[in-house]
Formats: sequence, structure tokens, C-alpha cells
Amino acid sequence: MLAKLTPSKAAHWLGRQLLNRDDPAAFFDPLTTAINPMWVQQYTPARVERITAETADTKTFELKPAHRWGGFKAGQHVNVRIDIDGVRRTRTFSLSSPPARWHREGRVTLTIKRLPGGRVTNWLHDELKTGDVIGLTEAFGDFSIPEDKKPVLFIAGGSGITPILSQLETMALENYPGPITLLYYVRTQNNVIGKEKLDALHSRYPAFSLNIITTDEGSAPRYLNDQDLDSISDLTAREIFLCGPKGLMDLASDKLRQRGLNDEQLHSTFFAPPAPAQLSSSATGGEVTFSTSHLTVDSKGDANLLEIAEAAGLTPQHGCRMGICHQCTCTKTSGTVVNRLTGQVSGAGSESVQLCISIPQGPVALEV
Amino acid sequence: MNTLNDQQLDELQKDLDAIRDEVVADLGERDANHIRGMVRLHRKLEVAGRVMMPFGFIPPVFLAATASLGLAKILENMEIGHNVMHGQYDWMNDPSLNSQTYEWDTACSSESWRRTHNFEHHTYTNVIGKDRDYGYAVLRLSDDEAWRPRHTFQILNYAVLSILFQWGVALHELEAEKLSYGKSHLKEKRPFLRVAAKKAGRQAFKDYVFFPALTLPVAPIVVAGNAGANLIRNLWSSTVIFCGHFTQDAETFTEEQAEGESKGHWYLRQLTGSSNFTGGKWLHIMSGHLSFQIEHHVFPDLPAHRYPEISEKVQAVCRKHGIHYNTGSFGKQYSTVLKRILRYSLPERFTQRPAVA
Ligand code: FES
Repeated sequence: MLAKLTPSKAAHWLGRQLLNRDDPAAFFDPLTTAINPMWVQQYTPARVERITAETADTKTFELKPAHRWGGFKAGQHVNVRIDIDGVRRTRTFSLSSPPARWHREGRVTLTIKRLPGGRVTNWLHDELKTGDVIGLTEAFGDFSIPEDKKPVLFIAGGSGITPILSQLETMALENYPGPITLLYYVRTQNNVIGKEKLDALHSRYPAFSLNIITTDEGSAPRYLNDQDLDSISDLTAREIFLCGPKGLMDLASDKLRQRGLNDEQLHSTFFAPPAPAQLSSSATGGEVTFSTSHLTVDSKGDANLLEIAEAAGLTPQHGCRMGICHQCTCTKTSGTVVNRLTGQVSGAGSESVQLCISIPQGPVALEV
Repeated sequence: MNTLNDQQLDELQKDLDAIRDEVVADLGERDANHIRGMVRLHRKLEVAGRVMMPFGFIPPVFLAATASLGLAKILENMEIGHNVMHGQYDWMNDPSLNSQTYEWDTACSSESWRRTHNFEHHTYTNVIGKDRDYGYAVLRLSDDEAWRPRHTFQILNYAVLSILFQWGVALHELEAEKLSYGKSHLKEKRPFLRVAAKKAGRQAFKDYVFFPALTLPVAPIVVAGNAGANLIRNLWSSTVIFCGHFTQDAETFTEEQAEGESKGHWYLRQLTGSSNFTGGKWLHIMSGHLSFQIEHHVFPDLPAHRYPEISEKVQAVCRKHGIHYNTGSFGKQYSTVLKRILRYSLPERFTQRPAVA
């Protein structure tokens, strides 16, 4: 039936001719989803099959995505799409289960921590029930297990463990030769996410050594220190994966660079807004023209294009608002913008930019 | 035009902004459910119409199929397409309901419509010479335009315009009247014509080639039914739109009046240039809530199904400022449209000026 139709060129052409849209199957979404929400074509639907509590503020959601979902590699993330009060929200989360499980049972898990004041994470914790259907995008990200089987060090903090859980399980299944070490920083023992899984892996997989460090249980805070790194054999030969709060990631990468590790060996992934690059605010700001909306506004300082558009009363597509999901990508036709994350300056011509992390440098025109 | 001083205009602006802010703060699931419900209904009507049409050799089925497809087109054009493309549902962040990407089921391309309607008509509402929706360059509807002999039988032009309404709207941006006066050249219009031909071609292809060919032995019936559905939609949308701005008491403005105006003045122009008609829930839905043309022109980007509930407040604001709120039954408003078309088909000396100007 329609669900089996792959968006081929012919389907695309017919969709434009008959239904004024590129994806003919999505035309029927309003009808078919009323019968079964898993038949939606606009995005990949995934049914919530089980919800388990990991810690007081972290839950694991077991999902069964529609078959056409493209799968993922250990360490990748996915955008989750839900409607809250009529508004579609998109957020990025790491997949915490191994890809093997998706191949075997068609199931994946997301392990999500409730963020204070977070609209989406709190909604997921409080409102999402088993049997509900949420939307997923294809997986993305390059936080991947090394192909050349080099020794590995994982440094994780808090819920930064989630992509690493997927990687560790995958490595165990593949019998990755090791050595593999995990330094996992948590506030207290009660905050360990995936405790059982980590212990089980540790006992059945000799190449893997586990070191859980609690930061808040002693009289003084106990952060990553030199002894932690000294204890790692042939540290400089390892591929290093960092995932956690900004403070931990900065501290770890500083110490590792001091020990002569080069940037190619360091892999990090965001699960919180990455640190903005330093920008000189005098050089930023300018006149922004939204050509489709026939609107021109002035911007000052380091306001990003998404904020500028919203302040002008426009409502461009967006998701994460932090440069991860690419929902806000649109075409800049002229002018220069600076990328808030990398500090990189764009060309002056026509190119795609992410509104939420692009800051104008002088006059900019956008197809918005 | 009512004259309000600057201070009164500021007050008017504050009153109307307050109504707007209240709705914006309250947007949510109810609005999402409304538009999604309308989209679902549209799909049902269109699928039912297309499926029944080949069985149109049975007369009652032909009527049902044509009516179903006609209603589908009306609903899609008015309550869904028009309102979505005004950005009324952009806040939902749903790509299928986004004003910049939505493409509707009519000959006019969305891109062209966003320029001529969203921008031109809604900015320069009823400003003679700038709002090209005013009379669609075919009809003389006020004394601001000099009478010419060709206006004598403009009621016939009106009938033709209504029957072919979607094609008229599709070619609106061509500015044929300017071409004929030599004020612009066909060459400049080439990019527009290319897009317009593509969109119009698609619309004609599906109704008059694809679906008939799919049902070959009964193709003529399918062609007739599809043409009927388009005709129903054209007549209805034209009528609704004429009732929105060309009733007897709808005011017109000169370019000087609108030049450098304040937001309050713009509001006043929207209030006095538009007209409503009354009716039941489904009459409003089928007109895309343009039966609340006044509210629509004041708040073009608020979800249209909110207009009935804010209408009372808008009327109260009008009363407070002594502004005429132009409304009446559908029949009454439409008859004044016809009268207006007839009155202005004759030179000024044969007609007395309208009672309320
Ligand atoms: S909103 Fe997610 S990348 Fe901009």
C-alpha cells in the first residue's frame, strides 16, 4: 500500500502534479493517522513500548520505530518530534541501545534526563505513556567507535553516558579487542545511569574496565584529576570519547592536550548547548532582510538570526535552538554571518545557514 | 473616512493590540485541533469526490461527487490554504502548515499570491491605484476612477470574472491593465509567467487529463464533474471576496490618505475598508472566515476560527471610537455588491453618490 511506496522520482512528480506536494503519501497522513498513528509518512513514527526509571530524574524509553527507519551507528543521536500544546518541538537525544538490538528486535532506547525547566524533557517524563507514538528523524552524528580497533578511553559525566552505553554494548558484541576504560563521573551513587548494564558488561567483558567516580559524596567536590588519567595505561595511544557537562569536557580536554594527545584522538559530542565561540560583539549585528516576508530589521550585538526573525514577528521552522538539529536551516542569499559555535565566518554569497547559531556581520538577506 | 485625531488613533491601536495579545497568549492545542480537523475533512471530501466521480453516469452520484469535490476545493482554498498562507499557523512549527511552503489547490501559485495578496492587498487595502484587488482592474467600483464607455456592461465582466475566478487570480500579477497602457512590458513578466504556467498547467492536468484518463470509458463525465467542482469553487470564492470589500459601505482611500500612516491609521483603514456577513458556523468555515473580513484585515495572522469569538470585542472598539462596523446578512451584503457594480457602470452624473461615504 502507500506505506510501502518509496519516494521515487515518479512518486515525487505525481505528488507535485496531483497534490501540490513533493511527498504524495504525506497527503493522506491526516486520514491514515486517524486510523493508526504508525502509518504517518511525514516523519518516522515510533511507538513507546516501555518506560523504565533509571534514577530519580532519568528514564529510559523503549521505542519501536516504523520499519522504514534507516537504523543507526552506536554513538549517534536522533531528533525526537512531539507536539506540546499544539506546537511541534524537536529535541536531540542519543540512542542508548546497541544497533544490534534494532537489527534483532526492531527496538531502540532513548535515555533521557529531566532538565530543570526543560519543556520537552519534562513533558516526556510526565506526559508520554506506553502506546503513544512520537516522531523520529534519521540518526546522525559521528561519535563512532574507531574502525582500526585502537584502545579506547571514555570519559562521561551524568547523562553523557547515554551514547556510550550503546557503544560499549556494541563493542562487547563485536569483541572489540580493547583495552577499553570508562571514567564515569556522577554526583552520587544514586545518579548512576545504566548501573546494571555497566556492571553486567564489566563482568562478562574482560577488556572493559569501569571506574565510577562520585563527585559530591565526599567532604569536598571530587572532579576529574591527574591521578584518574595516570591510572590509564598507554593513555596517549588511545582514542578518547568525551560526553558530559561542559565543565567536565573542558577540563578533560585541557588535561589531555597537556599530555600530548592531539585533536584527532579526541572525540566529543554535545548533549547540552555547546560553548559559544568568543565573538567580538562590535563586529556583529547589521541589517537583516527577510525577503519572502518583505521585512527588513536592524540587529545589534550577537543576536542570532532566529532570535532576530522572531523579534520581528516571524516564526521560522526550528527545533533545538542550539545548532544540532538543522531544522532551522534556510538559504542566505547575500551577506556574511558568523557561526556562533565555531566562530567561523561564512562566505558572502548564497548558502545554507542554521538560523539559530548564525549571527549577522553587516547586512544579510535571507529567504525567510 | 472617519476622522480620528492622532491621539484617538493611538488609543484605537492600543485597544486592538490588546485583543490581539490576548489571542496570541492563548494559542495552543485548540487551534491545532481546529486546523488539523479541517485538513482531515478536506482529505475525506476530496477522496470521496474523486472515488465517486467515475460512477457519475448515475445522476445522483454525479451530483454527490461534484458537490464533494467542489466543497473540498472550497475548504482547501478558503479555510486551509488562505489562512495557512497568512501565517496563521506558523507558530505550530509544522512543516505541512507553514505559510512559506504551503502550496494550495488552485491555479494561482502560492508564491505569486503571497506577493499580490499577503503583501499588496493587505498593506494597501482599498487604496485606489495601489490595492490591485480593488475591482481586479476590470471593474469600476468607486468614483475615484473615471468612467469609460467600457464600464457600461461591467456586470457581464463581473460574471465572467466570477466564473473564471481562479484563472483571474492566477494572472493577477501579470498586471494586464498596465501592459495595455504600455506602463510595463511583457518581458519583465517572464519569470512570473513561467511559474504561473507551470502551476496552472498542473491544475488543469489533474482535473482535465489525469483523472479522466485514469477512468477512460467515462472520461467525459469525469471532465464535466471536475469542471463543475471548479466552477462551484470559483463562484463561491469570488462571491465571498466581493462581499468582503465591495459592499455599499466599504470605503476606499486615496494614496495620499495612506501615505506615511501610523499603525492606528492602518487599523482604521482596515476596519472601514472591509465588510462582514453573518451566518452559521459552516457558512463561516466555508468562507474561510472571510465572513469576518473586518477581523481578518485587522488581524490577518491570527487563526481565523478565532474571529467569531473576538468579533464582539472588535465591535465594542468600533462603537467606542464611532467607527461604522459594516455587517449584515449574506443576502443583504451581496445585493449591495451587485448594486455597486451596476451603479458604477454608469457615469457619475447618472448616479447619486452613496448615502454613506
Ligand atoms: S534549531 Fe536546531 S539547528 Fe537550529
